[in-house]
Order: sequence, then C-alpha cells, then structure tokens
Amino acid sequence: MKPIAAVVAVLALMPIVLDLSAYSHNLLTLAFLMISGALAWNWMGGFVGQVSFGHAAMFGVGGFVAARVIIATSLPAPLAWIAGALVAGIAAIGAHPMLRLRGPYFSIATIGVGEASRFVFTYWEGFTGGASGLSLPIDADLKYQLYWWGLGLAGVVAAASLLLRRSTLGLQLLAIKADVDAAADVGVSATFYQDLIFCLSGAVVGLTGGLYASYFGYIEPSDLFGFDRSIGFVLMAVIGGVGTVLGPALGAVVFVLLRQYLVASYPQLYLGLYGLLLIVIILFEPLGLTGLGHRLWRQFRKVRR
Amino acid sequence: MARFIDLAFAAVLRAGLYATMAYGLGLIYGVLRVVNLAHGGVIMAGAYLGWILFDRFALDPYLAIPIVLCATFLLGIGMYRVLVRHLPRGAAGGPASLLLLFGVWLVLRNIAYGLFTGDDRAIRTSYSTSAVNLFGSFLEVNRLAVLGVAVLVPVGLHLLLRRTYVGKAIRAVAQNADSCTLVGIDVDRIYTLTFGIGTALAGLAGLLSATLYSVNPSFGAQELLKSFVVVVLGGLGSIFGMGIAALILAIVEVFAIYVLPSYLTTAVGFVMLVIVLIVRPGGLFGQRVLG
Repeated sequence: MKPIAAVVAVLALMPIVLDLSAYSHNLLTLAFLMISGALAWNWMGGFVGQVSFGHAAMFGVGGFVAARVIIATSLPAPLAWIAGALVAGIAAIGAHPMLRLRGPYFSIATIGVGEASRFVFTYWEGFTGGASGLSLPIDADLKYQLYWWGLGLAGVVAAASLLLRRSTLGLQLLAIKADVDAAADVGVSATFYQDLIFCLSGAVVGLTGGLYASYFGYIEPSDLFGFDRSIGFVLMAVIGGVGTVLGPALGAVVFVLLRQYLVASYPQLYLGLYGLLLIVIILFEPLGLTGLGHRLWRQFRKVRR
Repeated sequence: MARFIDLAFAAVLRAGLYATMAYGLGLIYGVLRVVNLAHGGVIMAGAYLGWILFDRFALDPYLAIPIVLCATFLLGIGMYRVLVRHLPRGAAGGPASLLLLFGVWLVLRNIAYGLFTGDDRAIRTSYSTSAVNLFGSFLEVNRLAVLGVAVLVPVGLHLLLRRTYVGKAIRAVAQNADSCTLVGIDVDRIYTLTFGIGTALAGLAGLLSATLYSVNPSFGAQELLKSFVVVVLGGLGSIFGMGIAALILAIVEVFAIYVLPSYLTTAVGFVMLVIVLIVRPGGLFGQRVLG
C-alpha cells in the first residue's frame, strides 16, 4: 500500500515541480485512465479468470451518460462521471445471465454483447449522436485538472486491487477461478461473487469512460464502443500480467506509450504488432512483464550468490 | 407472398454458407476443446486467396476450391504445430488459447492489410449476375452453386468421420484422448490433422463468401460470431445439428428485415448468440460428440 501512495504522491507533484509539456501532461493523463480501466478489467479477467472481450460496452455507457449529463445540466463534471459509473455498473448487473457461462463461452458471449452494443448505440442517435458523435463544452481548466482526477482514480483502483487480492473476497475469487464446483462445495457461490465483481469492474470502467469523455471533449460510439477498445483492455492486462495484482497498471502504461509511438510511426502495423506481442507473451511468459520481472529477479539473486 | 418466398429462398441459401463456416469451428472445439478465435482470420485468408487466384490467374473460384483447401489446411497445421500445441491443456489453457489465437487473428488481419490494403475486394465472375427463375423467384446461379458446395461439405465430413479409420480416431480422441494414447493412437497427430481440417473448412467458407460479398481485412469478425451461434445452437460436434442451427440463424436474420430497421439486422446475430448461450448452452439437440 505504501509504495502505491509514494508513486501517486510523486506523480501528483510532477507537473508542479517539472515543467511538463502539454503533450506529456496529456499522455500521462490518458495513461492514468487506462491504468484504472486495465486494473478493473483484471478483477474479472485475472482474479476470477473470466476473460471479457466486451468491456467497451461499459466504457461507452459510462462515457456517454457522463457526456449527456455534462451537456444537459450544469452539474460539476465529477458528479456526471459518477452518474456514468452508476449506470455502467447497473448495466453490468444486466449481464447476470451471461455470468453463468464459463471460459470460452463467456468470452465469446462478451464479444457478442460488445458488438451488439456498438450497433445499438450507434443506431440510437438521440442519445449518442449516432455516427457523428457528441461534442462536450470546452473546458480547458478541467482538461488540465484531469491529470489529478485520473491519477487519483488510478491510485484508488490500484489500492482497491491490492486490498481485493489480500481480502477474503480475493481468496474466494481465486477459488472460483481454480474450480467453480469445488468452490461451490465449500460455500463460495460463483454466481454472487461474479455478479459483484463484474458490477464493480463495469462501474470503474464506466467511470474511466466518463473521464475519457471529458478528456477528449468529443466522443463517438464507434470509438467508445469499438472492438479495438475491448481488445485494448485485454492487451494491457496481458502485457502487464493477467491475474497479477498491479501488472495491468504497468501494461497500461506500456500500451499507451507503445500505441502513441506506433500510431504515429507505423499506423499500418500496430494491430499486427499487438497480435505478435500477444502470441509471444502467451507462449513464453504468460504472466507478462510481471512474470518477466520475477524471472529476471531470480536470475539476479542466483548470480549474486 | 412472393416476397415471403424470396426471403425463404434467401434464408436457405444463406444457411448453407453459415453451416460451412461453422463446421471448422465446431470440429476443432469438439476434438481439441480449443475455441479457434483465429477462425475469422482464416475465413478472411481463404477469401483473399480465392480473390488472388481469380484476379491474377483468372481461375474460377469453384476450380480454386482444392487449392484453397490445401493452402488453409497447411496454414492450420502450421498454426497448431508452432503455436497451439505448446499451450497448457485443460482449464489453464482456456484463456491462454483464446488470447493466443486472438493474437494470430490480429496478425493475419495486419498481413492482409499490408498485402491488399483496406479496399473492398470481391470475386465477380461472368455468371455472378445471372439468375434462374424458380416459382417466380429469381435465384442467382452463384448462390445456388454455393449452396451445392455447402451441401457436399457435411456429406464429405460425415463420411470422413464415420467411414474412415482416421475419422474413427478423430472421434475417439474427442471422447477421451488419454485412452487413445493407451491403444496406440498418436493423439498429437490427430490434433494436428483436425486443426488442419477445421481451418481448411474455414478457408473454403471464406472463398465462397468472396463470391457473394466484398471482402476486406476486417472481414471475418461477424463470420466468427455467426459460426459460434451455429456451433452452440447446433450442439457441439453434431453435423446435422449445425446444419439445422445455420438454417435457424439464417431464417431469423432474413426475416428480421420485416420488424427491424435494416441497420440493426446485423446485430441480430450477436443478440441471438447471447440468448442461445444463456438459454441453451448445450445446444438445441443436447451435447453429442462428433457424428
């Protein structure tokens, strides 16, 4: 817990002490948002072991609800984000029947839900503005402050991940991941805990979506609900280490930086490079960067001895 | 009424293609217990291969079938030997195989993008637009040909699985791989072969699709989901069940035009997928192992 607080404190002071360029300031903000999203995805995909290819649905719902609240009312933005998170969390509870499914069945169903939501929300022009999207009122101060909002959210979500892993609930999730039936035999109901985690995970991803809407100031369904966005959460977690406590945070940072670089330099190649990265990680180091770190650390200790 | 008959014909013709797409996915899952997320990518690869053969070498798509089958068979064998074989088996392999094969799909998409750009391509033969008149409905010759192939595929697959020694081995491995090792079946070879056959069928489906629709590198995503609907609805591994399921999906999709705005008909497949998974995860006809 202390290292998280220390990192957050250092990052919070950074824009004040160092003279960050607007570019780095914004890139870091985006990284913070993605860290929260990736960590929340990992609660479901890593802790429970149910890989979701449809988290973009909650991201989009959170984003558009927040945007609508901001456009329609004069409420402060954080309240609008929370509204988005609540709706996204409630929408996630709607996935209850899906959570009976395990393994590949669940994953494929999430692809279906994610894609269906993209079609439906693109069609629902009254709410999302359809293909032309929504523009939010410009608020330069808010965009600057988003750095700290994003950082705060990332810090809270990281702390929550750590607490979750250490708590009884975390152990129950591990039991469900290892063997649903055995877990049920000792009184751990997969149905209830999966619903709970999916709801929490969805709410946090929805919250991230709300902040993202304020960050970009212009949102469209094909981006927020896009399949690439769902894949993004999966990739961040895989790069950092699926199921590790804080690996996905690292994965998110790498993902955001890599994406920024690749989109600028090799826009034609970046999907394929992500694919290669996925293949290499799954084959050689299923725990991603975290696993690699552990391995290097062991080697290092061996050498010293 | 005339419109109803038109739609009914359209549904049957579409069902043939859906079934062809689904067999490969169902076969691989039935035997290896691996969901081939790269299925959509292989469909796309088959479509592009057919297009190259037609565009560069003026080869008729139906004559190109053996070439596409062989090429995607080898692609599948390569995918199994180099990648899938090294995954952990059992529960731990579930998410890992999904993510790995998803990576393969992204790579295939990117290769197609690099080679053929993002433009839409389609195979347009001299008979693409000709049609025959049947009970007052005009049926495209090409769609009928696709249906013909789609009928031959399950017959061939059935004969392979039921009448040959290899087919017997494949079914045995699907039931219990460990016991197969005991009686001297090289399980890994059967896995390789099954993966190859499964991807070859996907390639064939892609080739057939390219004669009907235009294809670009992202082609295959919807096809994967529709295949999955068919596989789940039909019950894993039941060839007959998958055929019926394909027909159901096609009928629902085609007749959705009556009640839904056309833009949303695309989402019908996705919604159906989720409903089927929730309501009948064992398929309409219960679980059966290959036959």
